[in-house]
Amino acid sequence: MAVNEAHDPNKLHYENPFFQKMMSVPGLSVAMSTVDQLMAWGSANSLWIFPMATSCCGIEFMAAAASRVDLDRIGSIARGSPKQCDVMVVAGTITVKMAPRVKKLWDLMPEPKWCLAMGSCAISGDFYRDIYSVIPGIDTVVPVDVYVPGCPPNPEQLMAGLMRLQEKIKLQQQGKWTAPETRPETEKMIVPEVGRLWESDRNTEITEGQISRCATLGLNGNEMAQNDEPELVQIRKKGDQIPTHLSFAANPSKKG
Amino acid sequence: MTPKLYQQIAPLLTPTVDADGNALPITPEQVVNFGMMVPQNKHLALAQLLKEAGYSIYVTVVASHWEEQTVKGKSAPDPEHFEVATVVRHPGPGATTTFSWRVRLEVGESIDSLVSLYAGADWQEREQYDLVGVRFDNHPDLRRLMMPEDWPGHPLRRDYAIDTSHFPWR
Repeated sequence: MAVNEAHDPNKLHYENPFFQKMMSVPGLSVAMSTVDQLMAWGSANSLWIFPMATSCCGIEFMAAAASRVDLDRIGSIARGSPKQCDVMVVAGTITVKMAPRVKKLWDLMPEPKWCLAMGSCAISGDFYRDIYSVIPGIDTVVPVDVYVPGCPPNPEQLMAGLMRLQEKIKLQQQGKWTAPETRPETEKMIVPEVGRLWESDRNTEITEGQISRCATLGLNGNEMAQNDEPELVQIRKKGDQIPTHLSFAANPSKKG
Repeated sequence: MTPKLYQQIAPLLTPTVDADGNALPITPEQVVNFGMMVPQNKHLALAQLLKEAGYSIYVTVVASHWEEQTVKGKSAPDPEHFEVATVVRHPGPGATTTFSWRVRLEVGESIDSLVSLYAGADWQEREQYDLVGVRFDNHPDLRRLMMPEDWPGHPLRRDYAIDTSHFPWR
């Protein structure tokens, strides 16, 4: 329906080719607007979902379909066949091998249809973005109407996303302009202070400290504790005060 | 592991070498320990032996790729090679016993498939062929398992470029 064209950022709103003709017929616009409102009410309150759940976001989707959040009360029922569905919820990482299958399932869905990208992986690939086998976001394959950010999003967030989609459908059915969803930007990678072992700018003092610490590890716990910082020693002493009847490790002679 | 099986297995293992290059005698601890090296041509014979001795569960096979690297105490660098580790398990009473061994493969060499002994080795070996590129001889159906059929290269090799493009998706 209107959504694929509405996704195009160059077009502000979808122009129905029959709209001008319809408007020229006297009285029809009044009648059709009532029908349109009825259609919008119907389609917004019966969003049957095709769950494209490929990974952990699918678990949150199941939680959203369960009794606490309960997707059913807005008329959203998860169906197994794409031919019966209106909304494709892409919940999870889409790999290069899976992407053609997703596209095929999307093409099988009858119009009008909408797509909801759930979670960071479906939005942008997230930290799998640079991996050889993962596509950088599902919007490279199918047009996305609503983005629900999170890793994974709450069931409540998914519910809010679906309600946002409902609003969008109602507005579009009335021929009103809806702002295209902007893809949430993935946060910049946090560079750790301690570099990885293979990085050239890693501090050599840290490496030597770790190596010397590993050399004393396991020989004598008390020696290790003396070399540690005072705070760590206190924590270690607290750990030693576990009652012996609770810990076999603290008293190995009574093992078994 | 029974003493009889130990006596059968010990001649198949590659003995460890001391500083002067002399082979050290193989101890029972080494046989029971994980990851003894086995020559490539004795891989199938060892698996046959273990299968007959009751190690009837094929747990896994793991292949790894090693780049050319310098070894401490040796002048010549260790050339690029592959290592294939196989794990089988004995479903005996009480504690189950696991046995694993490693086979070193030079570049271009292939290893005997264990599908004739363990039917469960089929997809495991296909996966290792797909991701690392180790070839298994006499495998009934050696195709890619995980990656698309037209995928270029084997992604878990050390020299695989991680930004290899795959039109039109990325």
